[in-house]
Amino acid sequence: MTYSTELIKGTLKTIILKLLSDNKKMYGYEITQNVKELTKDQIQITEGALYPTLHALEAEGLVTTEVEYIGKRVRKYYSLSPTGKAKAKEKVKELANFIDTMITLLEIKPKTA
Amino acid sequence: MYYISEQQINFILDDISRRGIKIESLQCDLLDHICIIIEQNLEEGGDFEQFYEATIRTFYKKELREIEEETIFLATLKNHLVLSRNQFFLLLFIVLIGPFIGYDLAWLATSPKAAGWRFPWEIWVPTLIFALYPLLVLLVLFFTPEKFDPLIPKKSMILLGFSPFIKVIPSSSIPTLFPKWE
Repeated sequence: MTYSTELIKGTLKTIILKLLSDNKKMYGYEITQNVKELTKDQIQITEGALYPTLHALEAEGLVTTEVEYIGKRVRKYYSLSPTGKAKAKEKVKELANFIDTMITLLEIKPKTA
Repeated sequence: MYYISEQQINFILDDISRRGIKIESLQCDLLDHICIIIEQNLEEGGDFEQFYEATIRTFYKKELREIEEETIFLATLKNHLVLSRNQFFLLLFIVLIGPFIGYDLAWLATSPKAAGWRFPWEIWVPTLIFALYPLLVLLVLFFTPEKFDPLIPKKSMILLGFSPFIKVIPSSSIPTLFPKWE
């Protein structure tokens, strides 16, 4: 099952910030593949959602970029700025609290091993 | 693994630019992304142009430029004011009549003695005309029932950019540029 765009859209910033906090630097394609692998294809980030979000994070000063030349083309690596590292922690905490609230609200019993 | 030539890189770059991607850093992101997909999935000797067309089609719903529009929108979002419908009308009203009222107050503060403590019609008539007219329009809009106002529903939020707002201010301050009417 692949999750709907609406669900992913609200969490995309948090997903990207968390991935960048776990990996020193990543480029766009790497981010999409990483998410795909970690979620066993359940979350597939589209290019149309990924790049606007990365550029917004850059405009907010949460990520920085560096370029590497691959032949004639340029590969842009994204990494967290010091502000971005703090923001990543904050966003993950916020999302975790939100999930707890949703579990209570929707009366979903957590799976026990 | 397929190897992309310089000529093919130029072809992709020209194509994404022609499709409306003008931001250089976004062009770099998309170019690299497309190149990786082609290199990893196209067999050696495969049809590059056909594969490229099929790949680029998966990047958008209607047009590729959607990605650039979304990028600009998200990157400038923090520079916008989010207003309710009523706040928007109030702000519009202040912007429209503010300069006229301001001019009147400035006149009252500086020149009433020289004019023999008279408030000349040249001052208050334009204020009435130019301030009350937009006020009437705004009052009509303000009290229009929602079913007759599909353009701005009562519960809608209005995203106001500073750039258009700043562009409006010079035109609304025209009266302050006039010489004193005496």
